[in-house]
Amino acid sequence: MASLTNKRTDGGTLTVGTQTSQLLEMLAPWAFRAPLIFMVLFFAIPMAMTVVFSVFERTMFWMEPGFTLFAYENFFFSARLVNFLNSMKYSLISVAICFVFGFPIAVFVRKSIPQVAQHRVVLLFILPFMVSEIIRVFALRPVLQRNGLVNTTLMDLGLIDEPITALIYSHTGVVIGEVLSFLPFIVFSGFLAMEAVPKFIFEVCDDLGVGPWRRFLDVILPLAAPGIFAGSVFIFVNGLGVALLPNILGGAGAVNAGLIATQAITALDFPLAMAVSAIMMTTLMALLWIGHRLFDLTKILTPLS
Amino acid sequence: MTDPTPPAVEVRNLSKHYGDFVALRDVNVTIAAGEYFVLLGPSGGGKTTLLRTIGGFHKPTKGEILLNGKSVGHLPPDKRPTTMVFQAYALFPHMTVTQNVGYGLKVAGLPKAKIAEKVDYALEQVGLSQFTHRKPHELSGGQQQRVQLARAIVLDRDILLLDEPLAALDAQLRKDMCLELKHLQEKVGITFIHVTHNQEEAMTVADRIALIASGDLVECGNARDIYRAPQKAFTASFVGENNLLRGKVTEANGSSVIVDVAGSKLTVDKRGLAVTDGQEVKLSIRSECVTLDRLNGSDAAADGMSIMGAFDESVYLGLTTSHLVHLPDGTEMVSRVIADSDDSLPDAGASVRLSWKPSDIRLHVN
Amino acid sequence: MNDYDNIWLHKLKWSYLLLVVLTLMTPVIYVMYISFNANGFGANEYAFTMEWYGLIFSDALLIGALRWTLMLALVVTVIAVPMALLAAKYYKAADNKLFPVFLLLAPLFVPPDILGSALLVFFKNLNFAFIWLGDQVGISLFDSWFRLSFLTATIGLIIYTIPYSFVVILITMGRYRPEQTEAARACGANGWRAFWDIEFPQIQAGVFSACAFTIILVFNEYTRTSLLKGGFDTFTTVLISQMLNTGMSGQSYAMSALVSFIAIAIIGSIIILTMLRTESLSRIARAKADPVTS
Repeated sequence: MASLTNKRTDGGTLTVGTQTSQLLEMLAPWAFRAPLIFMVLFFAIPMAMTVVFSVFERTMFWMEPGFTLFAYENFFFSARLVNFLNSMKYSLISVAICFVFGFPIAVFVRKSIPQVAQHRVVLLFILPFMVSEIIRVFALRPVLQRNGLVNTTLMDLGLIDEPITALIYSHTGVVIGEVLSFLPFIVFSGFLAMEAVPKFIFEVCDDLGVGPWRRFLDVILPLAAPGIFAGSVFIFVNGLGVALLPNILGGAGAVNAGLIATQAITALDFPLAMAVSAIMMTTLMALLWIGHRLFDLTKILTPLS
Repeated sequence: MTDPTPPAVEVRNLSKHYGDFVALRDVNVTIAAGEYFVLLGPSGGGKTTLLRTIGGFHKPTKGEILLNGKSVGHLPPDKRPTTMVFQAYALFPHMTVTQNVGYGLKVAGLPKAKIAEKVDYALEQVGLSQFTHRKPHELSGGQQQRVQLARAIVLDRDILLLDEPLAALDAQLRKDMCLELKHLQEKVGITFIHVTHNQEEAMTVADRIALIASGDLVECGNARDIYRAPQKAFTASFVGENNLLRGKVTEANGSSVIVDVAGSKLTVDKRGLAVTDGQEVKLSIRSECVTLDRLNGSDAAADGMSIMGAFDESVYLGLTTSHLVHLPDGTEMVSRVIADSDDSLPDAGASVRLSWKPSDIRLHVN
Repeated sequence: MNDYDNIWLHKLKWSYLLLVVLTLMTPVIYVMYISFNANGFGANEYAFTMEWYGLIFSDALLIGALRWTLMLALVVTVIAVPMALLAAKYYKAADNKLFPVFLLLAPLFVPPDILGSALLVFFKNLNFAFIWLGDQVGISLFDSWFRLSFLTATIGLIIYTIPYSFVVILITMGRYRPEQTEAARACGANGWRAFWDIEFPQIQAGVFSACAFTIILVFNEYTRTSLLKGGFDTFTTVLISQMLNTGMSGQSYAMSALVSFIAIAIIGSIIILTMLRTESLSRIARAKADPVTS
């Protein structure tokens, strides 16, 4: 309407300007939604489609529409299930180790380091994380190998006579790899989570005579729970899903969901790969849903908004 | 219309809802050009919402806003003849004082020389000429607010909106800045609309005050009238230090009514309000208009302009002293006097008489 | 740290923290150490050499891969960071924050092999669907849109990197006061101008960090890239295929070390930059702490 009036009174140029600005005004809200639309199209839908593709019929090199549960049969009634459950166990062990070694660091940084320096210290943990994960994992081979850094150092020190062979090509090797790959994440999520624990809490606890252990159980843990949970889920799911770790560091039987999926792709068994992906997505969604129910995971980002 | 200049701001039946929460309910207010208008009220009452809706930061749910006689409901803040001073943190931290003040002119595309000239003049008006190259964090709170003022007035807009501009300052500075604001407005002559929850601040600067609470415009009038002759009981409770008494009308003939408060019959001017016998009403009387007398045993005659109570205690407040008294029904009353005489005070619980002039007590109906 | 805290305990905690960082870095440092050894890994004698690095730069395959990698990193950064910025602005203004948060952070939780496989099969199906559709309509214009290619790799990597940029930008936006945008609007600037003049200069540190992150992430990524890339090779895919085929050679150590050096240099400069920034922030804080006069 405004542009019509302008046309009568002011002539052409202004009308064009108003129309463009009106067009921009109409488009602007959609520009802000564009990332979300992109994520729905190329992330949410592909992820959901894994369920559909997983029941397709396998052909020689590809698959065709149909309905069969053969891929799931193939997963659940074979050694794959045992391997999958085993990798869950070792992934949980990694989560526990990461938490024990990593979370105190987050508490320490929040509690004892001046506010302005905190981000700097946390950035230190991005340093190793920024080196390609695959290089870090490959680099563990010369470190953990029979004649690698750890064994030669220990033997030079005279602590052991024989090299420890269980460090690599075993479940231990996978757990070591997972801890070294994912420990920074528990520091990051713990650091974000500790934002929910105001600094005066420590003073109040000191004032009330609450010891560090009670303080941790009664105060820090409940307040930081959403962040800790998110970090733990991250490590757990990646422990299940990163094929590299068992592939490079694991031995017999160290096969996780990611490795099953990539092996299936290599073998051109696409429905199986999709079934594994669907199972992983279901596991992830279930965990996130439970976490959201228990702690309201949006709280993690409240300090940011 | 006989008056050729339309009012600076006209708010018609304005409502603003946030989901179920009603921030403003059917507000009507007219602000004349060149007026210093204050929106006063408790926190969360909707006064800031009204100001921000006028400024174009919120869209009204219902109703419309006319600035200089033109409806502006569809316009964003930068297309309105308004500008705004915020409570705090609103200076651009990466710009110097000069750049901050000149920003609006730069956006408007003025030539550099013109900008420099206008910025110098505006900074001179707020007394900050020697701080031109400082960054905001190198200024005190009061100076920051002055820069905001300069940034706003330099634009030569018709209406300046001030959203709690002094709330972040300490008490003494706030008093000084109030006067400066008032003088600045007189100098530049544009319409100021100022939001505050501080009644002293409001009284200092305002030509007219609108009292806003719980989303309603309770009362609007001259600063003096709002203080001395509040129409609504809420105004009386919010502005000044008023005693609020509840009572029942016993006689409603002629120009005055008789109200029974805690057993005393009080005479009050009716002010043209429609009251009937037996109606529950409220009375207000400012504490500085109440005189406290000691009773020596005998009850004084009831004259309709006084009430009996029991003395509680005195609170020394420096300039004034407040005597606290409670009535037989438990209502607290305060008598405030300027002198802090050395007279011995009545004992706690002693009977006292509180009296006032007929013109000081006011009747309120809901 | 409090006045009454045990200073030695504090130092002990600090050393623990640094020890953990060092442990995490050990493989990388060890690889760097080996990469300068003329005799390679496991040799009894250590002889310093730059020879392995020379080999990298004379390898045409690697140089070609490097070019692809840089291009991929550049394209992904140019698309993903503005998208993350838009998403962060949307998130700030949104009433319902759960949906955007879920959508933008969920890729963090999806393991690389799972995301890669799912997208691979999705794109292959999409490609077949487009070809089929083209055949029905009689145009072949859409045929190659979703064949595994630079485009599919880009999409996969955008999805992978967006959460990181989103979080980094959101953190810097947290320090921005929205009143300043309103003040700029009140000064007559339109929404875009207010963003560009006022908000962007204050969040640009976050935006640039997000760019650096994205470049490093894309540079380092192996699984998703190798599944979605189609014909071309990137630095990591060449490296890994060499490692898998011929085992770790001196050249692979040198390549790993080189990549690590670059990444650490970038992150190191970010840390130094933020240090300078926090230094100036603390100056501001000190200035603000001065008693208010006037």
